[in-house]
Amino acid sequence: MLFLAFRHLISRKKQTFFILLGVTLGTMVYIFVSGMQLGLREFIIEQLVENDAHLKVSGREEWIEPPAMAEALFGPNKVVSWFVPPAGKRDEERILYPQGWIERLRRTPDVAAYSEQMVIQVIAAKGAVKSNATLVGVVPDRQRQVTIIEKYITDGRYTDIGQSGNRVVVGDGLLKKMGGRLGDTLLIGGTGSKPTPFKVAAVFHLGVQQFDDNFIYGALRDVQQLNGTPGRITHIAVRLYDVTQAASLANYLSVGAADKVQSWDQANQSFLQLFQIQDLFRIMITVGILVIAAFGIYNVLTIIVNQKRREIAILRSLGYTPREIMSLFLIQGLAIGVVGAFFGLGFGYGACRWLGIWGENFSGHFKLTISYEPSIYVTAFAMATLSSLVAGLIPAVAAGRMTPIDIIRQEG
Amino acid sequence: MSIQVTDLSKSFGDPPHKVLHEMSFEIKNGEYVSIWGRSGSGKTTLLYILSTLDSPTTGQILIDGKNPNTMSVQEIHDFRNHSIGFIFQFHYLLSELTALENILLPVRKTGEHEALQDRALEMMSLFGLKGLEHRLPSQLSGGEQQRVAIARALIRRPRYLFADEPTGNLDSKNGEIVMALLKEANQTWGTSIVLVTHERTYAQQAHRRIELIDGRLASHDAQISL
Ligand SMILES: Nc1ncnc2c1ncn2[C@@H]1O[C@H](COP(=O)(O)OP(=O)(O)OP(=O)(O)O)[C@@H](O)[C@H]1O
Ligand SMILES: [Mg+2]
Repeated sequence: MLFLAFRHLISRKKQTFFILLGVTLGTMVYIFVSGMQLGLREFIIEQLVENDAHLKVSGREEWIEPPAMAEALFGPNKVVSWFVPPAGKRDEERILYPQGWIERLRRTPDVAAYSEQMVIQVIAAKGAVKSNATLVGVVPDRQRQVTIIEKYITDGRYTDIGQSGNRVVVGDGLLKKMGGRLGDTLLIGGTGSKPTPFKVAAVFHLGVQQFDDNFIYGALRDVQQLNGTPGRITHIAVRLYDVTQAASLANYLSVGAADKVQSWDQANQSFLQLFQIQDLFRIMITVGILVIAAFGIYNVLTIIVNQKRREIAILRSLGYTPREIMSLFLIQGLAIGVVGAFFGLGFGYGACRWLGIWGENFSGHFKLTISYEPSIYVTAFAMATLSSLVAGLIPAVAAGRMTPIDIIRQEG
Repeated sequence: MSIQVTDLSKSFGDPPHKVLHEMSFEIKNGEYVSIWGRSGSGKTTLLYILSTLDSPTTGQILIDGKNPNTMSVQEIHDFRNHSIGFIFQFHYLLSELTALENILLPVRKTGEHEALQDRALEMMSLFGLKGLEHRLPSQLSGGEQQRVAIARALIRRPRYLFADEPTGNLDSKNGEIVMALLKEANQTWGTSIVLVTHERTYAQQAHRRIELIDGRLASHDAQISL
């Protein structure tokens, strides 16, 4: 039946071409959109997971409450009325008992590495140019075990931060804003501390504006000193052997803890919700394409089956079985699906590559990353073939059910 | 080897309208029989029942001792493929296939189309179709198309050939050619032929004539001179 099926397809070049185009286009769009969406997702997740930390311990923010304040100031059991009740954050964020955490993390088998951090808001200045920035104090050798920031160093060396010595790694966006270069000196001052010179030892580019325009990494001890709080840390970044365990471990560790423990996905729920919206969007396109392609195949095959009623009668009278008649039309639908899918895969891949090349020079909030995840291609192919099979089934079964005598009587 | 018809009748519609009234007869192996009668007398209806395409309302038909109505789907299609050839009033060729491919269509089912290609070419030259092998039906005249259809029906050398007004759409010259080919098939390969026609001269070319009048057998034993 293969032979006849292909003759049918060839003899209707225009029709075949247009449905083929539909399937191809559908498959291609799916691959293109998926490549873009999943690429962005992979990128964001890499940023979130690999650059921040799988899990983070941070000081709980404490707020000043009037009764506690009254007790501290006036002694216990005094009734105090405030004209203006005291309010605000009690202290800078800090981890109260870092050593306890570190011992606990060391004893936790899921933990691969940890890195203490001191994060403060600073103003960086070069000459007259000033900019707000987030200064992260780290121990470089430990930090590099937790994140892959080293991968994104474009100039200089990450480890040049050293244990101390006022050397920093600066995001390229921030540096550009300030008109600075590698080797320049920036004046960095915290709230209430006097500006101190830091030398730019390295530059990083993550491709995420939020980081590149804001972040400065320095030695933990330098940052503690700048802030006037030796020995204090605000965060402990933790890397796990298995990132999928992050949320459950975070929940486990935060039980009874005075400090906050959050996994990367708990800390970034808004992004993950965005992914769900993307998924929904993709499912909608998928279903849309599926329906259009299937409907096209269904329509054309229904028309063909009707046009070919006499042929069906002849074939049956020559001894071709209902099953063979059915396969004659099923093959046609499937062939369009498979060939269309193949073209779609090719063009979709091409479009992704093209976008990738174009995206090299693209800069925005995120780096343009495209996913070539094989599952996208497998899904697209399965989708196209399956929908064409289903669409072909109805007319094909109808063709198989026709009896030669009914056809001949109706055709006269 | 024969077709045996016993008390066969056929009704259509609701309430049932009888088109063929109880009839019994036999068509012997190698016989050339014509079914003759006026338009609407039930010739085509009878032919479709004899050729397994339709089933009787009452009575039964045995082909080679077997009842087609009790055969499985596979059996009946194998039987059609191997033992029966059809020629319809309209040529009914497959428009996408060339003349040669059309002739080989029945044997393609069993994958014998390459082995029997020489036979098909031989038949084409015998039928005056030499040089037209690779033409599509739309590039052939009506008479040529009908000859291709006959070659297709005979490619397997089936035991039975059923023809419904094979000359109906042809001029007298092409009609004669078709009739000559039928006779030739009957004589050289011993094919049993059942020919439906309303033309007396064609009906007379058969060994035996079955006459239908309003769905009843009028006469069926009159031997006509060969
Ligand atoms: N499917 C059907 N339903 C109802 N009546 C039918 C059907 N098929 C045939 N008939 C009737 O049965 C009768 C015989 O029809 P049939 O086609 O066998 O005649 P015929 O002898 O072949 O005529 P013609 O020479 O015109 O081809 C006609 O009266 C026709 O109207
Ligand atoms: Mg008729």
